[in-house]
Amino acid sequence: MVDIDERWKKVLWLLGILISLGILAFLVVFFLRFEAGRTFRAEFFNGRTFRKAMPYVLGGLSLTVRLALVSEVFILVVGLIIALARISKNPILRALAIVYIDVIRGLPLLLQIFIVYYGLAYLGFKLDPFVAGVAALTICYAAYEAEIFRAGIESIHKGQMEAARSLGMGYMQAMRYVILPQAVRNVIPPLSNEFIALLKDTSLLSVIALAEVLRRGTEMMGKYYNVTPLVCAALCYLMITLPLMRLVQYVSNRLSEGR
Amino acid sequence: MNFMVEVRNLHKRFGHHEVLRGINLRVKPSEVLVIVGPSGSGKSTLLRCINGLEHATSGQILIEGVDITDSRVDINAMRQKVGIVFQSFNLFPHLTVLRNVTLAPIKVKKMRPEEAEAKALQLLKRVGLEDKAQAYPSQLSGGQQQRVAIARALAMDPDLMLFDEVTSALDPELVKEVLDAMKDLARSGMTMLVVTHEMGFAREVGDRLIFMDEGEIVEEGKPVEIFTNPKSPRAKDFFSKILSHL
Repeated sequence: MVDIDERWKKVLWLLGILISLGILAFLVVFFLRFEAGRTFRAEFFNGRTFRKAMPYVLGGLSLTVRLALVSEVFILVVGLIIALARISKNPILRALAIVYIDVIRGLPLLLQIFIVYYGLAYLGFKLDPFVAGVAALTICYAAYEAEIFRAGIESIHKGQMEAARSLGMGYMQAMRYVILPQAVRNVIPPLSNEFIALLKDTSLLSVIALAEVLRRGTEMMGKYYNVTPLVCAALCYLMITLPLMRLVQYVSNRLSEGR
Repeated sequence: MNFMVEVRNLHKRFGHHEVLRGINLRVKPSEVLVIVGPSGSGKSTLLRCINGLEHATSGQILIEGVDITDSRVDINAMRQKVGIVFQSFNLFPHLTVLRNVTLAPIKVKKMRPEEAEAKALQLLKRVGLEDKAQAYPSQLSGGQQQRVAIARALAMDPDLMLFDEVTSALDPELVKEVLDAMKDLARSGMTMLVVTHEMGFAREVGDRLIFMDEGEIVEEGKPVEIFTNPKSPRAKDFFSKILSHL
């Protein structure tokens, strides 16, 4: 049996290598020999446009990262407060939290951005686009992260709360010193994934004239009549998101080992 | 006569299920009261009502004369007088043994950290675990964890200690070390309410025993008398089953 398994493994390996080589060969021929391939290369991977557009698009990355980081700080605070309201014994607080979480999660983020930026402008509050962007992202993501916090808190055995309360601690003291420190450990992986999603969703703020990565990419696309700037933008996002995803994976593995 | 605990006509209902049906109980200071009975008889619920983890449906529970079922009473302050040790230990896994014991004195009693630590080390020594102060709960055996839980409860200087089947989750060879810590505590004059299946402990340490079944106190008296001469059929049946192994 073992021999057959080993032989099959070798065959599969060989097959995999052959298929990969085939695809590679096809791509090379397609891009170099065919008209369509050459057009594709000129539009998507145009070296001259890349050299001109990339520095400008890359310049938007600091705004993208700043938007994500500043929003994340507010999201964590607001999300935690909503989560605590969601699990509170007070029926009014709980109902408010449920309505907030459901309504916000039921709306497209782009719509929320428009409402915060243009809606408030109609009411006479002209917000700075950065402030409006952070506000919209906070409103939206706080609802999602509140649910993550809630799940993290509810995953802690109720004996922990009882033990803390039986020692005379108040509810908030027990939360702060006993429940939350343990819950945080459970929510780090899902919260990190939310942060990656948030970083990508900052691109939606290009609609309110924030010169972040995507906005700069589309500007350059219009200027050079070429798709290459969008590829530049894609590379900018991947530079951040790919390492972050690996990091999240690593941290998750470490956390689950330490159990 | 001042009682440490006085329970008057206590009822507790979960939905349609009545777990406690009119409990009356008086415990004197320094008395060790053992509570036995089949599972589902309401023993644990009674203990949990006495330190406010469960709300009484009706009736009164007086701790040192203060009615804790009165909503105006500061339940957090009352709980400081009543320590409880659980079947499942419930140590805080993210804190060292020392921090487990000092957390409540520092945060609730606002004790100075050095003072709390000195006291904690003393209590850990008393339960034989002063060398484990820097360990985390997961590094300890069940018996050791349970002794830490006892030290943690004692750190708040309670006047009354509740023990809820504290040896039931332990491997047999670890039961003795926990019972020894409890015996030591009983000898020091602590008032104790002990829910247990350890009849040897009940006979040796218990001043009084109550037998509960279906939410009522069926029988009450000296442990030896009830063991040897249970009056009600339910108690007879229960003790004949568990004492046959002794």
